[in-house]
Amino acid sequence: MLRVGCILRGGGGVLLCLHRTAQYRYPSGPERVLTRSLSRTPDSSRVALKLRTRLGVTLLVGVALLGAWWWVEQERQQRRRRQRVEQLRTVALGQGTFSLLDHTGRRRTKQDFLGRWVLLYFGFTHCPDICPDELDKLSAVVSALDRDPALPRLQPLFITVDPERDDVAALARYVRDFHPRLVGLTGTPEEVRHAGRDFRVYASAGPKDEDGDYIVDHSVLLYLVSPDGLFLDYYNRTKSPEQIADSIRNHIRNHVPFGAPV
Amino acid sequence: MAAPNSAQRKACWDARDQLWQCLDDNNDKIQSCQRFQGDFEAKCPAQWVKYFSKRRDFLKYKDKMQREGFTPAEEVSVQFA
Repeated sequence: MLRVGCILRGGGGVLLCLHRTAQYRYPSGPERVLTRSLSRTPDSSRVALKLRTRLGVTLLVGVALLGAWWWVEQERQQRRRRQRVEQLRTVALGQGTFSLLDHTGRRRTKQDFLGRWVLLYFGFTHCPDICPDELDKLSAVVSALDRDPALPRLQPLFITVDPERDDVAALARYVRDFHPRLVGLTGTPEEVRHAGRDFRVYASAGPKDEDGDYIVDHSVLLYLVSPDGLFLDYYNRTKSPEQIADSIRNHIRNHVPFGAPV
Repeated sequence: MAAPNSAQRKACWDARDQLWQCLDDNNDKIQSCQRFQGDFEAKCPAQWVKYFSKRRDFLKYKDKMQREGFTPAEEVSVQFA
C-alpha cells in the first residue's frame, strides 16, 4: 500500500520508505490506472529477481575462476614433473652398464633389461627389517600395476650390497619370498661396487660379531629406470605403494622415448 | 651362516614385538620381561638383537624429544658457566 509512494520517489529509496506504514486508501478509477502504469513489477519479486541474477552471475564467475585455477594448477604440476625428469637426467644416474649374475646363475647386463620398465632396490639378505619391508612394498607396487592389462609389465630387480655373503644360492633363497618376477643380482665385489656406483648407492658394512655376522648400512631407495635405461625417478621409505604406483603410471603415460622428437 | 628365511624373520619380529609390548607395559623395566628377552635373543641373530635394541633406544629418544622438546646445547653450557 505504501509502495507506490515510494516508487514515485525513486526506486533506490524503496527500503527506506518501508517503515512508513501510512494509512493508504486503495486507489480506484483513473487514479488506479495511473498508479498501475507508474508502478513496475512489485518490489519483492524485483528484489528476488535481482538477487537471483546476482547469485547466478556470482556462481558462474566462481565456477569460471575455479576452472581457471584448476587448469593453471595442472599446468604447474606438469611443468614441475618435466623439470624433475630433466634434473634427474642431468644427474644421469644409472648411465653406465653393469654386468652381474642373477639368482639362477645366468649373467645379466644392463642391456638385457632395456625395453622394460625397471624398479630397482639395493639391499642384502641378512637385513633385519628394512629390506624385507621395501621388497614387500616393491612387490605390492608391481602387483598393483600388473592388474592393469594396458600397462607394460615392470621388471623388479634386487641388487645386493653384500656380495661377500649374498651369492647366487643365497639370492635364490631370498627372492622366493617376494614377487615371482623379482630377479636378484650379485657378482664379485668389484662388479657390485660398479653397479652401486652407477646409482650413487651408499653402502658400508658394519663391524663383524663373533659369528662373523654384520649389518650393511646402505641407502634405502627404489629406483625407476625407463626402457631406454635412463634413471627417471626414485622413491624413499615414506612413499606408499599407492603413491609409487601412481607415479609410475604417470611416467609410463608421459614417457617420450629417448631421442624421439618431443 | 645362512640368512633367516621368511618364517624365521617373522618369528624374530614377533618375539621382538612381544618384548617391546612387555617393556611398554612395564615402563621399560627389563627385569619384568626377562622371559621375552630370552625368547627374543633365541629367535633372532645376534646382530639383529643389537640392531633392534638400538632401534628401540632411538625410537624412545625420538618420542621423548617430540613430547618434551629439548634444550639446544648452547643453553645447557650456559647453565654451567
